[in-house]
Amino acid sequence: MSWFDRLRNHSRDDDVARDIDREMAFHLAERTDDLVGRGMQPDAARREARRRFGNLGLQKERTRERDLFASLDILLRDLRYAVRALRLSPVFTIVAALSLALGIGANTAIFSILNAVMLKSLPVDHPEELVAVVRSGGTELTNPIWEAIRDQQDMFTGAFASADAAFSLAESGEARRIDAQWVSGAFFSTLGVQPAVGRLLTTADDYRGCPATVVLNYDFWQSEYGGERAVVGKSIRFDGHPFTIVGVSAPRFFGAKVGRRPQAFVPLCSQAVTDGPNALDARSRWYLQVMARPKPGLSLQAIDARFAALTPGIAEAAMPTNWPPELIDGFRKATYTVVSSATGFSDLRLQYRTALVELMVVVGLVLLVACANIANLLLARGTTRRREIAVRLALGAGRGRIARQLVTESLLLAFIGAALGALFAAWGSRLLVAMLSESGQAIALDLAPDGRMLAFTTGVAVLAALLFGVVPAWQVSRVDPQAVLKAQGRGVSEARGRLAMGRALVSFQIALSLVLITAAALLVGSWRRLATLDPGFRREQVLLLSADLRGAKLSPDERDASVNRLLSRFRALPGVRAAATVAVTPVSGSGWNNAVSVNGARVVLKRDAMSWFNAVSEDYFKALGIPVLAGRDFDTRDTPTSPPVAIVSQSMAQKFFGTPNAVGRTFQTMEGREMDAPVTVIGVVGNTKYRSLRDSLTPVVYLPRAQGARGDERVNFVLFVEAPDAAMPTVRQAVAETAPRATITMNTLERQLDRSMPVMRATATVSGFFGGLALVLATIGLYGLMSYSVARRRNEIGVRIALGAERGRVVRMVLSDVSRVVATGIVIGVGLSFAATKLVASFIYDVRRNDPATLSGSALVLFAIGAAAAAWPAWRAASIDPVSALREE
Amino acid sequence: MARSRNDILQGTLALLVLKTLDAQGPMHGYAITAHIQRVSADLLRVEEGSLYPALHRMAQDGWLRAEWGTTEKNREARFYEITADGRKQLAVEQENWDRLRNGVARVLRYT
Repeated sequence: MSWFDRLRNHSRDDDVARDIDREMAFHLAERTDDLVGRGMQPDAARREARRRFGNLGLQKERTRERDLFASLDILLRDLRYAVRALRLSPVFTIVAALSLALGIGANTAIFSILNAVMLKSLPVDHPEELVAVVRSGGTELTNPIWEAIRDQQDMFTGAFASADAAFSLAESGEARRIDAQWVSGAFFSTLGVQPAVGRLLTTADDYRGCPATVVLNYDFWQSEYGGERAVVGKSIRFDGHPFTIVGVSAPRFFGAKVGRRPQAFVPLCSQAVTDGPNALDARSRWYLQVMARPKPGLSLQAIDARFAALTPGIAEAAMPTNWPPELIDGFRKATYTVVSSATGFSDLRLQYRTALVELMVVVGLVLLVACANIANLLLARGTTRRREIAVRLALGAGRGRIARQLVTESLLLAFIGAALGALFAAWGSRLLVAMLSESGQAIALDLAPDGRMLAFTTGVAVLAALLFGVVPAWQVSRVDPQAVLKAQGRGVSEARGRLAMGRALVSFQIALSLVLITAAALLVGSWRRLATLDPGFRREQVLLLSADLRGAKLSPDERDASVNRLLSRFRALPGVRAAATVAVTPVSGSGWNNAVSVNGARVVLKRDAMSWFNAVSEDYFKALGIPVLAGRDFDTRDTPTSPPVAIVSQSMAQKFFGTPNAVGRTFQTMEGREMDAPVTVIGVVGNTKYRSLRDSLTPVVYLPRAQGARGDERVNFVLFVEAPDAAMPTVRQAVAETAPRATITMNTLERQLDRSMPVMRATATVSGFFGGLALVLATIGLYGLMSYSVARRRNEIGVRIALGAERGRVVRMVLSDVSRVVATGIVIGVGLSFAATKLVASFIYDVRRNDPATLSGSALVLFAIGAAAAAWPAWRAASIDPVSALREE
Repeated sequence: MARSRNDILQGTLALLVLKTLDAQGPMHGYAITAHIQRVSADLLRVEEGSLYPALHRMAQDGWLRAEWGTTEKNREARFYEITADGRKQLAVEQENWDRLRNGVARVLRYT
């Protein structure tokens, strides 16, 4: 019967039942007529007709069963049986459902993040039509390039540029950060977004010299204004600049960038208000992402071809004026293309892809381990259910029918697990996103379940049910009712088959566990090493303070004076041992580099001519405990007008001057097209990590603040204090008194370092957790196997003991049994690890991915677990009383 | 479905039904029983209970076509008609039956 017929039968269920009723009624009527015709009384004839027909209900059932083969009816009955069977063994059901919930839940959790980051379309009109305009060599464009594209293109019905922005709502004291987005005029119309209140920004709002306006995000409007409709026309201050609120965007809309949840959308042109009048003309500031909706019928290739024709015009209009010739050449040659972009922009994709794939594999393996465990439990249960099944077979049940029943049980179990797992996933994915968000940049993802997620979870559940349900079902289908019923469930050969299958499953579990704990050990070890390595500076007792001085509207000189006042104020505070400023806080992820020339030759922008740079005040090295190896620290002699000087790291001295002591030597850098005046090295300091803890100890040049970072609007202070957290209120107070218009954020260096690698930390934590879970599952598997094996061999062991085997020998026997199972698993696991650890290669630090010590450590752990799991069964084997064991026979 | 002792009987039943319908044209279930009983001179009596499941199965397998109609007594009945597939099956069943009969006869003759 084809599936189509079956389907038709489902829908015709009632028709079929009626057909059968009518047909039988007809038959009975004819028979009655016939009997009456032969002289029977009508009543007696009816009874006789019925009698001849046999059990009416049963016949109907049998006829129906033919028609509704595999129908819903049978499924429901199977389900009822399955529920009953599961309730009969609650411990098994709970253990199995919980391990499945963890396994399936973990898969769903990771997938929901993967889905949100990589797969979900933007919640806008026809996201599939959207394209991103990218330049060869980067996805970000400058504003002059964007304006040239905007004014010259005729391929799009709408195109917009956007960029991340961050403002402070507070105008003094602790900063209150708000994430916003610069958007060009056609942003909302291109995406097809509706206003919730007021109006949205249009091209009429985006022109040079425009007033500062803003559209609020729906959630921000709710939380900040309580959904007050009269908010339109009011003004809100960002970094102290008033912005007029023109409207609120539709709920759920978050812009075109996945992972960000901007609270406000401000027109690109108002950058002139916050960042100064020249901000929009910056020709080497790459920050805009451009998205567009092509005109109907225009292919991506056609657009690319149009862009090729437009490129010279764009290059001409947006050419940076102060670039060296070799860079200008590259600028001219850059091409523009469009890529389909239904899922929007995201910085997270590249950043998380490897981690998410790695975690997906980890949780996939965990699910496999859990499935192996449940298969093992089912096998054990199958042994006790043998008799039940043998009886059912003997009573005439088909093997297919029984196998189907068992598969239904597995499916039911898997779906219970999946339902519990969905709850676990909702919690777990949020936890993981929170962990990834800890680096200061909050990550907002739409984790709400969608069709894709539902399909994934269902698929995983069905797959799991097949994985753990097929082997036991197959075993049962081989049950020989006669042998089982005769042997009182002691079929020796079949027990051996079950034992062999159990061993194979447990070995498989051990193999996967080895892979999981090896990966976990590599990741957690790397994470520990990174968290404890010596970065070349003091980790503890350092308070980081970032002050934004723009609110005070000072001139550069006044700002400098203000910074100096703050420094002396900090130094006078009790508990502060040193205070300094730094342009680039160590290991903050950002950096400033430049090419260096030491022999007066023209600077070449090549990779090996580059050094990192920083600008620090006096006492910086003291505050961070970086040793001054030669020469002197900066001091009051280094002023804006004094000869340029620098302090270099030891690795910089070694690399560029070939000597650890480079004091007195000079080097040059390039500013724009001109070589700068020679800079004299006045000191050499110890090496430090610069951008991230993973970096090697790269060359660093430190310039004095007076010469390298004079008049900056945002200043980072580092304070060496006795107790950073306790010092925070005092420091806050000092800032409020000394620079009342400054907004500040504070953190400790220790915390910043801890959270500087959120992806690494999340990967290590999750892998560690699931490595541990795999160990627990493997222990359960081993214990179950060994208990069963000892129970099986009770007689044999009794005989051995009766014949004089020592108890120690019996224990050794059991232990050697378990070590064979573990060893098989380890051999397979080592092979798998070689392949699997490729995935963690990009995360590990200071260890090879096939590190023999880690692998053998993992193997040892598994042996130890094997011994622990076998201890109780072994002890029980050794204490078997031969007399009673033999009497049982 | 489990194969059981009924198989032989069911196999024979299919043969009888197919043959009847092939020879007599469309018939309803009761007429089929009556026909088999009459033609076999009461030697064969179709177990009424197994007839309808068998008819439904044969219809599912495509050997028969079933259709509601009215009898001369103006009763509603389901009429069955043999299909081309059914004729092929009839040939197969006939051959099986011949082989079985030969086999059994040979065994019985052997003394």
